[in-house]
Amino acid sequence: MKSKDPVKKKFPVKPLRRLAQLAILLIIVLIPLTTQNPAEWFPSRIVQGQLPLPSLSPWSGDTWIFSFKSIYLAHPLALFDSWLAGRVIFIPLLLAAMAPLILTIILGRFFCSWMCPVGFILELNMSLNKIFSRIGLHYKFNLKDSSYPVLTILLVLSFFMATPLLAIFDPPHILGRELIYLFTHQQVSAAGAGLLFFILLFEIFANSRMLCRYFCPSGAGLALLGAKRLWRIRLEPDQCIDCGKCDQACPYDLDPMVLKNQETSGTKQFNWTKCDNCGRCRDDCPTGAISYHTGANY
Amino acid sequence: MADNNIDRRTFLQQAGLLGAVSFLPMGAALPNNILRPPGASPDFLAKCIRCGKCVEACPYDSIKAFGLTAGALFHTPYIAPLQTPCYLCQQRGKDGKDRPLGKFLRCGAACPSGALRRIVNRKEVLANVPNEFKIGTSILDRNLCLAWQYDSCGECYYNCPLKDKALRDRPPGGTLSEGTGIRPYVDPDSCIGCGMCNFVCPVRKHIAASQMNRDIKLTLFEERYAAMVRNVIGRSGGTGKLPAIRVIRGL
Repeated sequence: MKSKDPVKKKFPVKPLRRLAQLAILLIIVLIPLTTQNPAEWFPSRIVQGQLPLPSLSPWSGDTWIFSFKSIYLAHPLALFDSWLAGRVIFIPLLLAAMAPLILTIILGRFFCSWMCPVGFILELNMSLNKIFSRIGLHYKFNLKDSSYPVLTILLVLSFFMATPLLAIFDPPHILGRELIYLFTHQQVSAAGAGLLFFILLFEIFANSRMLCRYFCPSGAGLALLGAKRLWRIRLEPDQCIDCGKCDQACPYDLDPMVLKNQETSGTKQFNWTKCDNCGRCRDDCPTGAISYHTGANY
Repeated sequence: MADNNIDRRTFLQQAGLLGAVSFLPMGAALPNNILRPPGASPDFLAKCIRCGKCVEACPYDSIKAFGLTAGALFHTPYIAPLQTPCYLCQQRGKDGKDRPLGKFLRCGAACPSGALRRIVNRKEVLANVPNEFKIGTSILDRNLCLAWQYDSCGECYYNCPLKDKALRDRPPGGTLSEGTGIRPYVDPDSCIGCGMCNFVCPVRKHIAASQMNRDIKLTLFEERYAAMVRNVIGRSGGTGKLPAIRVIRGL
């Protein structure tokens, strides 16, 4: 018989994740701030024989496509969207998307929980959502996951309209481009800002993480790419005390407790595709039964 | 019996159709003379992935992006020369000479998807860009042009970044006799369509000034200028398009 080890408190992964998310959000705000042309706060005009001061910044872009000097990083779905709409694979874009694509295949849908700035803002509002739901100022819609149909419709339409539509509807890119346009041209588009506002409104007063769970097309695309991931959570059946805290912690309602007897029962399978490796269940587990684990098969 | 239930397939079909139809008319309502940044390939719309990097890369913020009213063209870049012309990534030093900012035009160098081609930032290359990769081509209305009508202008010629290549001071084969002012002539093969001539053309400037700010103080010289502008516009019967020189695409 195995002797019970004293439970070692694991270092929580949440501070690390917050640090990464904060860094990405900071970069997204700093890029347009450094890119803006100070002379352009006033209407540009030619003073006799002079040109306005140029603004030359080494970095640009957002989470959709980021570049520092000649190093480019592209969102993996940007490649597929551009491929479908333009009917060609542009080699520099393929190279730019290669590293994120491989990371997504290995680490799964980690972008959503570790990098996405919109996801970060929504996550910060989850406690606000809880407060409002306790007061009663809250409406819970009965929704089903429609992010895969949304992704399919957008990709098919991208092909037939020869227009990359995913680039228009990618939520972090909506935020990024509004910031870019705010700082370079001192305008925001009513549609983008309004959409972000409504996402936040629904997040606070309706279902928690509504966008990420039910609608986000990029999240769905990343989930499909990372379906056969190597980096997973693992539940040690010996240590589990059936407290159910992980089920409550999961923002996607994936019920990590089914991992305990997944092989034996086979009634409900854990949805590996949808899991974004955020580690909330790992942090909330009182006995440390859930941990990260690398391996192709569970 | 009325069948109100629709299955998933019909729903998807209808949703897709609705999406496509709602996008098309909005795109069609746009002016067809959209000036894209330099190096825009013929299949620009399919290749542009709306990342906004050219908007950021532009050192003079000449490149703007469409709002949602543009429909399927949403967040694609354009250049409005009357607001900010394309400066062709040049920096003017204290000696008045232009120096290129970088090896390539910055928008083309920043584009990750091949929608904008790279154009080498040297004046010999800029003056020989193939027609389909240009921003556009300037056309000059001699009936509205102060230089042609009154011998008293030349703003476009003096401000052109490709002076003596794209804009010349006389038509080919023409001679300027003593005392005659310049006669601007656009070489359609060399003009890249940056819109600087469009931007500085006084025929537009003075009209805009008089419309926007009535209390504007004009010097004696400028008043003479304004009078001439009114004259050339009156002469063309108000039918000419302002300014006298402007950029069009697809010449």
